[in-house]
Amino acid sequence: MLSLPLSPFPPSSHSRSPLARPAPGLTRNLLLGPLIALLLALVAGIAPARAQETRAQETRAQDGSGTLLLRFEGGAPVEAPRLKADAAITVSGPTARATITQVFRNTTAEWVEGTYLFPLPEDAAVDTMKLVVGDRVIVAEIREREAARRVYEAAKAEGKAAALTEQQRPNLFTNAVANIGPGETVLVQLEYQQPVRPTAGIYALRLPTVAAPRYSPGPSAVTSVVEGPSAADPVPDRQKIAAPVLDPARHAPVNPLTLTIDLKAGFPLGQMRSATHAIRVEELSGSERRITLADGATAADRDFELTWTAAPGETPSVGLFRERVAGGEAVLAVVTPPEAASPAAPVPRDVVFVIDNSGSMGGASMRQAKASLLIGLDRLRSGDRFNVIRFDHSFDTLFPDLVPADETHLDRAKRFVAGLEASGGTEMLAPLRAALRDATPEETGRLRQIVFLTDGAIGNEAQIFSAIAAERGRSRLFMVGIGSAPNGYLMSHAAELGQGSFTQIGTPDQVTERMRALLVKLESPAVTDLTATFSEPSVDATPTRLPDLYRGEPLILPARMRAVRGTLTLTGRIGGTPWQAVLSLNTAEAGTGIGKLWARAKIAEAETARLTGRLSPDASDAAILRLALDHGLTTRLTSLVAVDATPRRPEGARLVSTDLPLNLPAGWDFASVFGEGEAQPLPAPPRQRRAATPATQFAAAQPVALPQTATDFEIRAWLGGVLLALGLCLSLRRRRVAA
Amino acid sequence: MSDIANPGAVAQRPDRRGIKTLPALLLVAAGLVLLVQAAWIPAKAALAQVLLERAFALTLAEGTGMRPWPWADTVPVARIAFPGLGESYVVLAGSSGQALAFGPGHVEGTPEAGEPGTAVYAAHRDTQFRSLGRLAAGDPIEVVRRDGRSVRFRVTGRRVARWDASGLDPDAPGRHLVLVTCWPLHAITPGPERLLVEAVAEP
Repeated sequence: MLSLPLSPFPPSSHSRSPLARPAPGLTRNLLLGPLIALLLALVAGIAPARAQETRAQETRAQDGSGTLLLRFEGGAPVEAPRLKADAAITVSGPTARATITQVFRNTTAEWVEGTYLFPLPEDAAVDTMKLVVGDRVIVAEIREREAARRVYEAAKAEGKAAALTEQQRPNLFTNAVANIGPGETVLVQLEYQQPVRPTAGIYALRLPTVAAPRYSPGPSAVTSVVEGPSAADPVPDRQKIAAPVLDPARHAPVNPLTLTIDLKAGFPLGQMRSATHAIRVEELSGSERRITLADGATAADRDFELTWTAAPGETPSVGLFRERVAGGEAVLAVVTPPEAASPAAPVPRDVVFVIDNSGSMGGASMRQAKASLLIGLDRLRSGDRFNVIRFDHSFDTLFPDLVPADETHLDRAKRFVAGLEASGGTEMLAPLRAALRDATPEETGRLRQIVFLTDGAIGNEAQIFSAIAAERGRSRLFMVGIGSAPNGYLMSHAAELGQGSFTQIGTPDQVTERMRALLVKLESPAVTDLTATFSEPSVDATPTRLPDLYRGEPLILPARMRAVRGTLTLTGRIGGTPWQAVLSLNTAEAGTGIGKLWARAKIAEAETARLTGRLSPDASDAAILRLALDHGLTTRLTSLVAVDATPRRPEGARLVSTDLPLNLPAGWDFASVFGEGEAQPLPAPPRQRRAATPATQFAAAQPVALPQTATDFEIRAWLGGVLLALGLCLSLRRRRVAA
Repeated sequence: MSDIANPGAVAQRPDRRGIKTLPALLLVAAGLVLLVQAAWIPAKAALAQVLLERAFALTLAEGTGMRPWPWADTVPVARIAFPGLGESYVVLAGSSGQALAFGPGHVEGTPEAGEPGTAVYAAHRDTQFRSLGRLAAGDPIEVVRRDGRSVRFRVTGRRVARWDASGLDPDAPGRHLVLVTCWPLHAITPGPERLLVEAVAEP
């Protein structure tokens, strides 16, 4: 605020700052100063106050739709910390080790707690978290979820810097950081291990960057009526998997991400590309590359995908890796079975296509889903039967039952699909059940398949998994993940439970290629009746029951044993003929993170066993907890917590809690997801469009708030003039009357 | 006003003219005060610039920030010139209402002009930055910083944005300068829109 002449600076500020000392020559030149100030005192009291008021009003107006400012109860709104992230990933053969550094910058004058909701790959084993405050690095400990939460809350209340990493879903985490000082920057560093899977000779690494807004259905009306208000919520943690989302039409993208991948493939490399981002590739050697983003930083609004292949003729069909772990050794076998010499005679199929036309699919996703479904319809042969189901918060089945794939029916289906528009909620359970309902379970001569096209933006995964596990029958479920940030956990786990496969279609140019690959898989599983036998005793391998493999898919088998030696024998049937492979474990190469991968796979298997009823909830929880604590992994039941030793927030200073805003995933339509209600129409478009400069395209964090830059002197001048004229008129008339 | 509030006392007086004249006088007086106030805002802005010029010259000479007058709560940080328009202003630290009353303000949380990132200067549309309306893509902007370094920018474009949705990132790659004022330039009441003139440093 302006200092009036009567309110001098406190002496302390003079002595501290060299800027405060007026130059001797200067004061002489400033005799005018007091005069100005006196006059200013008349004026200034009004003008700035007005400016402040206007700003406050605008802030309030923003509250309805904007999410940048988060209201503190009873106080002024406080801006959430700004976030920048960096991902450094090292791929060594079959595993990847990633370090994600999240930089929380508090730009406010308050002490804040920031909570950031972010995705990770669904098979990531998160084992390390570090909190960096100033020059101190605090390494987090693994604790049971509730205990970790208590430690964090206690530290938060005591004014200590603290960080808590919680798993909300296997692919969705939150980082809470407490007591970030005014103007301070705090780093949270996460590390995880992840397997790299080849599919049909193509290796892929995926890094999700944004948690897409999800639809979390409420308890069904029937349950609510029967059980009253205590009816079980299908998404009990709906608050925890939701974060404010910025309307891209009104806000610059936030949360910039930088990325470096060091790829040590272990074999001579062939092609390498990213369908999602422009990349720069540095060739270090025949089998090693360094990959960075061509644009430096990207807004966290879509998954990053990198794919690579081996040089022609160099594709390995077997990979064996070992690592020493506490009390023994871990081994990882990656085996791609050979393709059938002669393709089996085509089996007639019954295919139910299910397409998601909910609001989250609006925009690019809907077009990709429709194109994919049309390709699927085109590949049906005579003799096949099919049906189409579409769903949002309601669902429609095109035909009452399966119909022959003839021209009339296909035409009707294509018109139906072409007419679909994205809007509404995502009630996935009912259409899934309808698709699983098998009218003729005795027809084992036909393959019953469900092709499910969705982005999986839902919060009630557990309901979906239970339904699949209970009702799958002879049906096989093929998940097709659509869009820039699909829910990989829902997709891969549903496909696993449904004994099908998971195909990801992230960009429009992937539709044809990936749908074709999927349709080849649909013909029939390539390898069935798989078993694995170790010659050594007491080997703990996961999964215990091996799945059928589709063409091009590898078997990934992590195991733990006392010492890696002896043989691993794989048997199965490829296209009807028996197949056997004997692998000598002595040839295993040294790998990193194999033990963690084994533990993570065991945990996933225990979660599946709980859903399918093979293990009681208590037994599976006990198994998960033991594995998580032994290997230091973040799970549904365990969290990582780091607490700084010394309190830092002064007593009495308040702490403001904020949720960091997220970008809307690329290609999504804000209005389809959140409705038009809150979005105000933009003011008339700029009289001049901005030239797209890279600086603003990748604008980071919340934009600078601009000050009020209008004075009211014109209003005063007008008002003054009017009053003057009025007064003069009045006195003139008076004089004339008197005369 | 008290005279009117006591009509009984006045009614006895023969001087009825006085009663009628008083409101007129008040109106005239209020009008004059408002006019003086109105005239004072641009006058102050112009006068302050003269004082700021001296303080900035001293800052350049002595290398430390100099207050333009002893009780000022801001210091000059740069001089910005629009060579195409023949105008130049001294820029103050901060964008509080007070700093802006005297000259363009360097918005808090943005880097110094010419440093990596996006520097933002704001000023009133009805004083210094009225001339933003006359800047077009390709026009030069010169900034002399308090360390004496001179940086030349070139205007890349203009756009209009809400004050809270500027899309400006202080940490954006490159060396940018953005000049901000209220929009529309000739509106009378304050509004949420801002005119942004974006410029990039010349190598």
